[in-house]
Amino acid sequence: MAAALPLLLLLAAGGGAGAEGGRQVSMQYNPGWNNSSVNLLHVRAVGPSDTLHYVWSSIGAPAVLLVASASRSSTLRVNWTQLLSPAPAGAIWIDPPGSVVYSTAVVFTKVFEYSEAKTLEELFYPTYDLSDFSWDSINRTLNHTALTAEFTGIPATGPSGSFSNGSLAFRVTAYEANGRDGPLPSLLHTADSSKVEFVLAGVAPRGNSSRFALEVATVEETGVVQKLRSARSIDDEYTPTIFETLSLVAQSQNGSSTLSFLQWKATAYGSQTPRREDSIQCRSHGLQAANWTLPMSSIVHAYFGEGVGSTYTISAINISFGGEDGKVYQEKRYLSWSVLLGFGQPPEDTFSPLVISIMAVALGTPMVMLLVGSCVVLFVQRKRYSEYEPIN
Amino acid sequence: MAAEEEERALLGPAGGDDGGRSPGSPRALPAVCDPRRLPHRLLVLALMCFLGFGSYFCYDNPAALQTQVQRDMKVNTAQFMALYAWYSWPNVVLCFFGGFLIDRVFGIRLGTVIFSIFVCVGQVIFALGALVNTFWLMEVGRFIFGIGGESLAVAQNTYAVSWFKGKELNLVFGLQLSMARIGSTVNMNIMGWIYSRVQDLLGYTGPSTLGLTLMIGGVTCLFSLACALILAYLDRRAEKLLHKEQGKTGEVIKLTDVKDFSLSLWLIFIICVCYYAAVFPFIGLGKVFFIEKFKFSSQEASAINSIVYIISAPMSPVFGLLVDKLGKNIIWVLCAVITTLASHIMLAFTFWNPWIAMCLLGVAYSLLACALWPMVAFVVPEHQLGTAYGFMQSIQNLGLAIIAIAAGMILDTRGYLFLEVFFSACVCLSLIAVVMLYFVNHLTGGDLNWSAKKREKLQKVAAAEVEEQERLRRQNEDDLAKLQPKADDFSLRNKYLSKLGAQGSEAVAESAAEDNSVTFSEIRYA
Repeated sequence: MAAALPLLLLLAAGGGAGAEGGRQVSMQYNPGWNNSSVNLLHVRAVGPSDTLHYVWSSIGAPAVLLVASASRSSTLRVNWTQLLSPAPAGAIWIDPPGSVVYSTAVVFTKVFEYSEAKTLEELFYPTYDLSDFSWDSINRTLNHTALTAEFTGIPATGPSGSFSNGSLAFRVTAYEANGRDGPLPSLLHTADSSKVEFVLAGVAPRGNSSRFALEVATVEETGVVQKLRSARSIDDEYTPTIFETLSLVAQSQNGSSTLSFLQWKATAYGSQTPRREDSIQCRSHGLQAANWTLPMSSIVHAYFGEGVGSTYTISAINISFGGEDGKVYQEKRYLSWSVLLGFGQPPEDTFSPLVISIMAVALGTPMVMLLVGSCVVLFVQRKRYSEYEPIN
Repeated sequence: MAAEEEERALLGPAGGDDGGRSPGSPRALPAVCDPRRLPHRLLVLALMCFLGFGSYFCYDNPAALQTQVQRDMKVNTAQFMALYAWYSWPNVVLCFFGGFLIDRVFGIRLGTVIFSIFVCVGQVIFALGALVNTFWLMEVGRFIFGIGGESLAVAQNTYAVSWFKGKELNLVFGLQLSMARIGSTVNMNIMGWIYSRVQDLLGYTGPSTLGLTLMIGGVTCLFSLACALILAYLDRRAEKLLHKEQGKTGEVIKLTDVKDFSLSLWLIFIICVCYYAAVFPFIGLGKVFFIEKFKFSSQEASAINSIVYIISAPMSPVFGLLVDKLGKNIIWVLCAVITTLASHIMLAFTFWNPWIAMCLLGVAYSLLACALWPMVAFVVPEHQLGTAYGFMQSIQNLGLAIIAIAAGMILDTRGYLFLEVFFSACVCLSLIAVVMLYFVNHLTGGDLNWSAKKREKLQKVAAAEVEEQERLRRQNEDDLAKLQPKADDFSLRNKYLSKLGAQGSEAVAESAAEDNSVTFSEIRYA
């Protein structure tokens, strides 16, 4: 689309600023609506010359709207009565509309539970449709200093069966500057990105070898090309023993610039304090164009309108958790998977200074010793010869 | 009694016939029962080889089952590597006492049986720890296993020396070491399979599956114990029939010798510790590394993880011969260390097919074993050789124990790249030591890096002189000198070079030392 070029320029400037001063991030819960029965979280990240809007909401399926605006003063407008009506199209917009250079959305639609029997026949249990969940108010979980919030939900039918003792949650973290998370998977992030962590805690599996998969749908304006990239890196020092990083990038039509990304490591963890041995294998199953209409994710409808296929397209990807033996979840009853979503190029891990310096010292010292040793030997021999000379 | 008849049968024809070969004699024992005849000695040889099979097989059980151990026992990698460390701890001390225990306390026969029992009991406790889901019990098992394992290797060599002499002995050491390699390789490739069969049988995975698998692995230890018992009986019988003495290690260890060790020897120690620390803990963690980094299947990972052992079996004699013919030990060690460094760097920083790196590692490892261990004999006087080798093994075990735990911790917190960088740094440390050794040797005019030709030439020149000196020396201290017959010097060195235990019994060097142990006229490595 035409907006791709300005975005590129914008993020080039913004990225530079992000590295230096970062962004001013503010969080606002249900702006302009004094009711906590629904959740809408507006994260506004203001850079030197632009603003990034993240709109998280659990109205309908949990979703996030990412909008880049070329104005520092752009604001989010919500027409609440329309948003909560059956026809929400046009209920959310950025003011001024002309400042918007790029927008996309990510919707977490479904959680599948299946068991992989030995016959390789997958047995699917009834799917958890996240748009049918009821979500706790995030107001209590909102942390304005750590910039985090947590959407916790259980099926709308009530806490029975598998969810009698458990819940499903999306933990959102916004970033002001470039950096790296402390706990595993220690994703590297930019100031132009946010993190969401999908957490299944205490949900009882319905079978002996149950595995879970999360369906993630992305909404892109027509003309934007999406690609799933799997990068195998030799560098696993930040996420021990995980060598694969996956990223779902949205590129402008001519493929010249990356507009936005979802990035994750091929692992989930089975513990609240993740360690290497809690790792749960995570696989992604090919990106597919989704022809279906989006489930009731109101903010996507509210922002993009009803033009599926004409003004925007939907793709979906399944992320499944559990390796050859899906035992870890059975034991721990905990699963957390982190994904970074943001604008521009996804960040790439580089060798830590420690690794580089160890290699430099380790390889350099023998070389230096070889040189010094040779000099000493030459010197000593010359001395010997000069001592011998008078005798000869 | 039958025994008396045997004795008569043996002693009768032995009068004039040196080999006891009197097939025509009706009173002769069947060949298999006659301790002087080849079939019987072959039987003994087979028993000797299988004596160590169990301990070699079980030593690397944890490596073969790393995923299973960590999953079933719910331990992190540092705790897992402690299983290897616990094996090494007792040997930090026992290296000095193994020989003493055999010579003075138990005797070779009882000693062998006792050490075999230690190995068996250790393995059973190890398996039991898994069965009852108690990890510390598994560690106790490995500790007891370690007490037996390393000393058993000493006993095995002592047996070999007492039954076989000269050229035969080379072959016997070679076969024993091949058996060790086979034990390790079979273990690497079969334990995973046994585990999956047990899993099919029980229908689930868990500590009991692991315990049962390890118990089945322990059968090899029982088998080795049986060999020890039969061997004890046969040895006793041979002693009675032939009035043969019980084998002795002849090991003399004086810890005060340590203060006389030269700088070169200390450098050799550093090379040894740093090099082995970068090989054995790596193999201990290797299987999962190949699965996770290179996406290998479990079987393929087992195969590549055992390639170092597989390569070293045929390559060691070749390199042994090569180093023996060409001399220049330091250059060979340098090549081996650089190759190892290259292979570690390859594994760390590339996704190249790891078979290349592992084969290189296997070749380098064999080369190092052949070139490094004999160097000790060049820089240490004969009478300190026991102490030097004991000390070298002791700190090797200490290094292995510490590095094993450190490696596990690094893997858990920093991942494989950092671990490989750490191992590379260890190899670099040993590279530094090699470079220093080269210069120290060069400056002090040492003989470590002489070519074999030069050695021979100088040796001929020195021979007469040395002989003269030797005669004088013998006159002066005739008692001491005469107490140690040549065959014992010869077997002494053999033992030190071959008793490097489950981790590294790689070098069997044999020297028919004419006088001051400068000459290695015959060196054989397996």
